[in-house]
Order: sequence, then structure tokens, then C-alpha cells
Amino acid sequence: MSRIKSYVDKLFKDIPNSEQKENIKQEIIQNLEDKVLNLMENGKEEEDAINKAIIDFGDIEEIKEELIGKHVNKKSKAGLVLGFSIWGSILIIALVVFMNFYYTPNVIWFIYPTFVVLWWPLSMFFVWLSRKNNKVIK
Amino acid sequence: MISSDIIRGHLDSIILKLIIEKDRYGYEISNEISTRTNNRFQIKEATLYAVFHRLENKELIESYIGDVTHGRKRKYYKITSLGKAYYNEKIKEWQIIKEIINLFLEGSENE
Repeated sequence: MSRIKSYVDKLFKDIPNSEQKENIKQEIIQNLEDKVLNLMENGKEEEDAINKAIIDFGDIEEIKEELIGKHVNKKSKAGLVLGFSIWGSILIIALVVFMNFYYTPNVIWFIYPTFVVLWWPLSMFFVWLSRKNNKVIK
Repeated sequence: MISSDIIRGHLDSIILKLIIEKDRYGYEISNEISTRTNNRFQIKEATLYAVFHRLENKELIESYIGDVTHGRKRKYYKITSLGKAYYNEKIKEWQIIKEIINLFLEGSENE
């Protein structure tokens, strides 16, 4: 039976610890053990019964999605990338403006690289926007 | 064993139905599904617990720790009034879906 416990422990390894996670884990271990006992009552060897319970378990991703909320995570990641792109482009533009007025104050050329750099936050903004809308539909 | 998306789409309703009949615990539900379908459909544990978690979050079911059996405490699930209402809505929806699908998939073999 300790194989069941170590199997479930391994499955839940990458899910962040929480009370909910512990509860679900305990419940799953107990019910898998019920299943093994039931299979053994019906004449299966313990090892076969445990193997069957493990094979029948299915895809842990389904529980992960419920526990972590995959969509929320994706959106906040997009927000982070958007913030990074905004700050990054501000710094680059500031540098270009500085170079322009420091070295060649008579020629205004910083507009051109500024337009190029602005594509970066703009594209990230649309990624963020589409994630946000997706979440509303969900 | 059938693993149809149509069944998957109605797992919530199937599990609600079983919990409406009486309070049940996890393995009892997966066992009941296999028995009633003559093993033509078996629910995976991972799916089952994802559904429990979702239904509990939506307050369609509640859980409580039941009597001690075989030296262990079991977690039982119980329907809420919201859960019953949701299930009744799902029945109506299913009637309509069934009629629509039947319009196209049933009784047209001779044509």
C-alpha cells in the first residue's frame, strides 16, 4: 500500500503546497486504497491490484488545472511580460533621446528608433489583451 | 471502453445525480459508475477529483467527514439546493440536446 502513497506523492510534487492540496491528496490515497482492497477481494494479487489502480488513475493535469487555475496564471504572466516591455522600451527610448541631444543637438533623429522600439510593448499589449478577454469568456 | 467527449461533457451531471440519490464517497461513486454501465464507461480518478473540486467550488455539493470505516475516516459528498436546481436545469438541457442530435443521427439509415 505504501506504493500508492508514494505514487500520489510523486504526482502532486509540482503543485504548490496548500491545505486544499493535502486534503485532495489524502482523499485520493484513501480511495485508491479502497479500490485496491476491492480488487483484492475479487481475487486479484496485491501487486496486480495496485498496478491496475495506478494505471486507471488518469491524467493529473486535470486536477492541477482545477487547483492552480491555469488560465489565471497565463494571464498574469502576460501582464508581467507587458510590464517588462513597457519599462524596457522607456529605457531604450530615454537612451536614444539622450544620445540625440547630447551628440547631435541640431538633427532630430530619435523619432525613428522610438517608433521601432514601440512595436515591442504594442505587440505585448495585444497578447495581454487577448488573454484577458479569453478569461472573461471562460 | 468508451471515452467520448459527450460523456465527458456531462460528467458533472452524472456525478450530481449519484450524489442526489444519497450521500456518497469518492470510490463509491467511481464504482457505481462502472457497475451501472457494465464497465462500458469507467471514470478515471484524476477526472473524478477534478470534478469534485469544481462542483464544491461552485457550491453544488458539500463535503463532510463521515463515519469511520475500516479504521479510517471517509469524506462524503452531499448535494446542496443549488446543486439540485443545477441538475434539474441540466435534465431539461439534455432533453433538448437529445432531440436535436436524434434529428440527424437516428432513423435515417434507409434514406
